[in-house]
Amino acid sequence: MDRSLLRITPSGAAGLIFAAASFVFLPMVLGSYWLAIFTSAAIFAMAISGVAFMYARLGMVSLTQVGLMGIGGWVTLRLNYLWDMPFEVNMVLAALATMICGWILALPALRMRGLYLALVTLMAAGGLEILFATYQFPNGGEGFWGVKIGSNAPFRRPALAQTPEAYLRYVIVVATLGFLFIEGQRRLFPGRAWALIRRSEAAAMAAGVNVTLYKTWAFGIAGAIAGASGALLAGSLGLLDDGTFRSSESIMLFALAVVGGARFWLGAVIAAVLFRVLPGLLNTWGVDTDLAFVIFGAGLLHALITAPNGIAGQIFDLVANLRGKKGKTHD
Amino acid sequence: MKLKNGLAGAIALGLAFFAGAAFAAPNCGANTGQAATGAPIVVGGIYSNGAPGDWSSSTDAAAAYFACVNANGGINGRPVEYLVEDDQWNPEAASAAAAKLVTDKKAVAMVGNGSFIEMAVNAQTYVDQGIMAMASACAISECFETPNLVSTNQGPLASNLGAAQYAQEELGSKNVACIGLNIPNNGIWACQAVIDYMTSKGGTGSMAMLNPGAPDVNSALLEAVASGADTILLNLPAGLALAVLKAAQEQDLRDSYTWIAPTPLYDLSVPDAVGDYWHGKIWVNAELAPINQGGADGQNWLAVLDAFGKAEDPRDTFSQAGYLSAQFFVKAMMEMDPAQLDDRAAVTAAIKAIKGYSSDLMCGPYYVGDEPYHQPNHAGQMVKVVAGGFEVVRGCYEYDSAYFDRHKAVEKALGLN
Repeated sequence: MDRSLLRITPSGAAGLIFAAASFVFLPMVLGSYWLAIFTSAAIFAMAISGVAFMYARLGMVSLTQVGLMGIGGWVTLRLNYLWDMPFEVNMVLAALATMICGWILALPALRMRGLYLALVTLMAAGGLEILFATYQFPNGGEGFWGVKIGSNAPFRRPALAQTPEAYLRYVIVVATLGFLFIEGQRRLFPGRAWALIRRSEAAAMAAGVNVTLYKTWAFGIAGAIAGASGALLAGSLGLLDDGTFRSSESIMLFALAVVGGARFWLGAVIAAVLFRVLPGLLNTWGVDTDLAFVIFGAGLLHALITAPNGIAGQIFDLVANLRGKKGKTHD
Repeated sequence: MKLKNGLAGAIALGLAFFAGAAFAAPNCGANTGQAATGAPIVVGGIYSNGAPGDWSSSTDAAAAYFACVNANGGINGRPVEYLVEDDQWNPEAASAAAAKLVTDKKAVAMVGNGSFIEMAVNAQTYVDQGIMAMASACAISECFETPNLVSTNQGPLASNLGAAQYAQEELGSKNVACIGLNIPNNGIWACQAVIDYMTSKGGTGSMAMLNPGAPDVNSALLEAVASGADTILLNLPAGLALAVLKAAQEQDLRDSYTWIAPTPLYDLSVPDAVGDYWHGKIWVNAELAPINQGGADGQNWLAVLDAFGKAEDPRDTFSQAGYLSAQFFVKAMMEMDPAQLDDRAAVTAAIKAIKGYSSDLMCGPYYVGDEPYHQPNHAGQMVKVVAGGFEVVRGCYEYDSAYFDRHKAVEKALGLN
């Protein structure tokens, strides 16, 4: 085994401590309203990690992530009503199905870069939005689409997470596994191939890297992560609405990944907090939640002008500077 | 001179206001005229405000009624603290709103809810938490087919059936095209009921669905036209229905079809909004009484809104329904043991025990009961849009559909019919 795979960096240790502390303390201190908000935020943090990893490791802009979450949610709901399998099985199958969709999306997109790739993924998100709006999400009906007229049939939540507190913990565990999976990939051969591809596709090809394979693999990973996130969202609410998976949400998710800092786990957390916790906070204060969009815009300008590594990059730089000064003092 | 005129006008307006207030003093709860000062009783309400419509009319009216109750002795001296959340037509926000009101704020009941989404997300939460939701602008099937939700309004299925029944019986409709939102538990559910009804009467029907996120009203209208229908039913929120009518006016389709609608078009602003072109050509089902019908409760609703609501609060059926839900809730609470007003289980039992409440705003009695389905309101009136308002073309009538058989059986068992 590659020994570097299990090496814990300071940032990684901080991430694991953060996840453990969130797992233990968040459900203990949060009221029901904030439990719902933080559950949603944790789900989207996981989805953001997929889109951020593609941008940070390969420079690929994917504007389909929320649409892919919709696919994961759709598969989860369909399987829930089709067979009596545990939620975990449905979630894994949903992640695999969405991974395949990610691969299919990758094939035409691979010939493009930069703006054109972003546009292709945006068009895919638009197509998914129309599909969801037209066929809706399964609600216990018959046939391929599984939609019946009238009320939704009951949804089976994970056996381990029947209460809101347990479900938040469940989501934190799955999201942490998602982050670790991406980090594991980064440390193994795919990560080295991605680093070479990001530097120069021609150089990567010359070095014998199968560019098509590893780009497709990256799309697949982001898809699987999005699919699992969609499954968790379906598990949280027991149903899904097409309004959640509009293409504009994918754009917003990517923009916030940049604001948070695409290279870092903390960036995904910050992006998810901005995406879901900030509107909840504004709502609690009695302020129109649309104000969040203004704040997002300001955050994006801030990231573009002064913080290419996002807010998380600035925080890690600050910590590094402080540690450096502290070290000098000790010296 | 201008100043003098302005002053005179202001005095006249002031006198008119006081005169109006004297003639239409609202009557709420204990009606003591004394403000309630005890510990507040927490009540929640959830509404939707987001594309494609604002569904806050019912919670606005419920808030006005509770404010009136609080100014008139409250419930056994205790004011109602009415907390309202917007679900933004977003399931996550709807779930968070219910969590906040039901679990964090410990509301004893939900009153006045109006939404397309929250009832689907929260129906099971209401069961699990043992809380009753006395909704008022319910637009989806869960409002009428789950144990802890009861709505004062009829919902699109019943109101559609009322409109289609009138059109079939009085206007000679044989083929109805229903334009609705592409939501399985809303537009499809309610439009399918119309198709089934028309089929049962030897006619036929079809549906044209709109994407609620990006509604293309022209396409839906053309789809309805292409169906070969002789009648077009606008099963939509008022704003979207007006957009369809505008598109139809541009194509001069008015006289080619019979135009009918469920209750969302029954809003005082609609006759002016549609303009002369449509006057006398649109028939609307009113789930509750006509707005200026003159009954004591109908007048009290307007007086409560004038005195305790905002000027911009809509005066529509959903506002009437919000007022009624709040009124019925307060009445049930005032009949309870005062020591149990904070006990959610006792409040839920009291709401489920409601039987035979009446109002001149409703065609029949209001009751709740302990069934896994509730539809106390299944009779309405039919009005026609005319210049300056609405004209009643058919008074209270029961809807002729097998869908209500089980409700009528419950009413019979309760001794209500």
